[in-house]
Amino acid sequence: MAEFGTLCLFIALAAAGWSVLASFNGWRAGLGQLVLSGERAVYATWALVLLAVIALESCIFANRFDLEYVASYSNRDLPAVFKVAALWAGQSGSLLFWLFILISYAALIVLLNRRRNRPLMPLVVTTLMLVAMFFLVLVNFMARPFVRLHFAPVDGNGMNPQLQNIFMAIHPPCLYIGYVGLTVPFAFAMAALATGKLGDTWFRTTRRWTIFSWFFLGTGILLGGWWAYEELGWGGYWAWDPVENASLIPWLTCTAFLHSVMIEERKKMLRVWNITLVIMSFLLAVLGTFITRSGIISSVHSFTKSDIGPLFAGFLGVSIVVSVGLLLHRLPALQSEHRLDSFVSRESTFLFNNLLLVGAAFAVLWGTLFPILSEAVRGVKITVGAPFFNEVMIPIALLLVTLAGICPVIAWRRASARKLVERIQVPLGALLGTAAALLLAGVRDIYAIVSFSLSAFVIATTAMEFVWGTRARRKATGESTARAFRSLLDRNKRRYGGFIVHLGFILIMIGVTGSSAFKQEATATLKRGEAFSIGRYSMTFDDMDSGTPHPNADFTGARLLVSANGRRVGTLVPGMNFYKTGQTSTEVAIRYTLRDDLYTIMTGFDPQTGQATLKAYLNPLINWIWIGGAVLILGSWFAMLPDLRDRRRDIEARLQAVASHAA
Amino acid sequence: MRRSAGPAGLLTALTLLLIVPAAPARAGEPTPQQRIEQQLMCYCGCSDLTVRTCTCGTADAIRADIAAQLGAGKSPEQVVAWYIERHGEKIRSAPTTAGFDLVAWIMPFAVLLIAGATLVMLIRRWGLRPAVATADPGPQPPGGAPLTAEQRRLLDRVRKDIEETY
Repeated sequence: MAEFGTLCLFIALAAAGWSVLASFNGWRAGLGQLVLSGERAVYATWALVLLAVIALESCIFANRFDLEYVASYSNRDLPAVFKVAALWAGQSGSLLFWLFILISYAALIVLLNRRRNRPLMPLVVTTLMLVAMFFLVLVNFMARPFVRLHFAPVDGNGMNPQLQNIFMAIHPPCLYIGYVGLTVPFAFAMAALATGKLGDTWFRTTRRWTIFSWFFLGTGILLGGWWAYEELGWGGYWAWDPVENASLIPWLTCTAFLHSVMIEERKKMLRVWNITLVIMSFLLAVLGTFITRSGIISSVHSFTKSDIGPLFAGFLGVSIVVSVGLLLHRLPALQSEHRLDSFVSRESTFLFNNLLLVGAAFAVLWGTLFPILSEAVRGVKITVGAPFFNEVMIPIALLLVTLAGICPVIAWRRASARKLVERIQVPLGALLGTAAALLLAGVRDIYAIVSFSLSAFVIATTAMEFVWGTRARRKATGESTARAFRSLLDRNKRRYGGFIVHLGFILIMIGVTGSSAFKQEATATLKRGEAFSIGRYSMTFDDMDSGTPHPNADFTGARLLVSANGRRVGTLVPGMNFYKTGQTSTEVAIRYTLRDDLYTIMTGFDPQTGQATLKAYLNPLINWIWIGGAVLILGSWFAMLPDLRDRRRDIEARLQAVASHAA
Repeated sequence: MRRSAGPAGLLTALTLLLIVPAAPARAGEPTPQQRIEQQLMCYCGCSDLTVRTCTCGTADAIRADIAAQLGAGKSPEQVVAWYIERHGEKIRSAPTTAGFDLVAWIMPFAVLLIAGATLVMLIRRWGLRPAVATADPGPQPPGGAPLTAEQRRLLDRVRKDIEETY
């Protein structure tokens, strides 16, 4: 099976090479048959990579520990779901997985565009397959998944216990689907620039794929946060680790694109800027992979380090030169007239939104890469950790929230002062009311007050948007309120889906603010029967508990009797898993409520004295992050539902009716 | 206006109900001990966390040591300096505000400010361009018959619809 996998990857490289040659030369010489042959080679490459993936998985399931990869990341007792996940647990496997997603996209694109976008397709295929070739070179020569050991161990090392969590099994595929998806808009941008066919078709395809990638990147980031919270045992969900940053940066530029693309649709402005954002997002995704895979900045995520760094840097360099070169070459053709009706218009709020989002992306990138810069300039490698990012990103995030609140009250094209005043009254009241209530409640943390008040402001403006829309519709059609509300949402899925996404984002802000500004912690070393307390909770150490949660691990934990305000509310058993492989992992125990989480950890146990060392965190409002995440996902799905075409047809029909009536 | 204030007000009130009880009245000023912990990265090698957040044994030992040093009468600055001297610049959790490190702090905001100023300038310039759209009479019906007032109103409504739906 291993030899078969190696062979498949080798032939796949040849097939991808042929695909690039045939597509590019077919385009240059105008030979349709050659272009077709290039597209067929994409299918062939896909099938070969699929076979290689199946080969690796079957080696994992067959416990072939004579293979280095299987011996390193799997063992006999590993549950089946994590055997599947072992595919992306290590360096070479995750590169193979990455390649598989990319080549699946390429095959899908070729399939979907058999008749559409024909002039662009040869170069789209060329770009996609060049990227695929890069990854094929990596898995064929640098990070080979099918390397044999000189001996066959009886059992493998098994997967890092912290990775044996269902969220961790879904988180990387989600991120990869997002990351790799950014290659598709990039390929279309390259093809459009190279052919000079910069019309609407490439643009629509690009938008759809960017939303798709943005959605998966965001979901992946949220799942990663949830995993860190459940599994890592330090009570937080985001540490501004370089690898976390690497996933956030392209997400921010994608978010910027999803906003600025609306300006291009309406006004035919910002074409160069939008192409730049597409190119930037792709390059940043590659940079992210480079950071993850090269270990250039030491990081917890460097589970997988190797010396493929220089190759990645080279690939990144070539991509930058080619894409920037093409963009500059087409600059004259991309010039469009920029005109705004007013300074105070929704268009300008979108422009400032882009400024802040790209500024935020830059700030995160800057902080992430600064250690390298410092080493180059001063010769001293320093750390840029969470305190830096919190200081820099909080103001930017607050400005973004403000903008999300102001944007809906400002009309497209030109906002009239009267309308603005009328629309801003209630939200402004909400803002001031919240600030006053918090001050009265004794809250003195300035960032928290600003963040909560602004959140109330955004919730109010967004809610008003739904209220006004429903009222206008009811008035116009005479429908009942519920019906008007439904058809309002139904007919404007993108618009209201977007607002739902904003609400999700605000809930996340509320959760982040609450859990960081008002976090409490307590530590204690207790004998049986002793208690310690945090906030309204008191926890009594009752006794030790043990069990066998997995066939390959034993659990030891401290049973805590929890009471809130003196009333018993339950039992928590924080502890540790001891794996047969010798590894250990902290198993936190959490009492979830909408108000706050009681998060408990057992950091140590002394069998001689019978004392347990315990740590507890009180994380206010933290569950609103996950609820907000769910709202965000819901809103994105709603916005992605197809309705654009129906609405266009509807509007066109109405215009036609008016025109014919006049005639 | 009155009627629409209802649901939005209700939502905001709900938000407040959510936030206020969860926010403890006393704002937790960090103690000197916590401030020091926040400034140092844990050098356990198992995580990328500050001494304040890391949960490993090394972090426990560092925290105990910081308490001991503070107890011995050292100032927080002296304690931090003691650690930097032994473990190097790398364990400082964020760049300092002196020398080249300052560039780390200034750059993000400088870029935002410069880009922001450029954007304001661009918007002003774009706003000054003559408005072509207002001179555009819109789609003319075949036959060239002028639209009646009612038809024009209808057309305006459709246009507004298109604007609002995007």
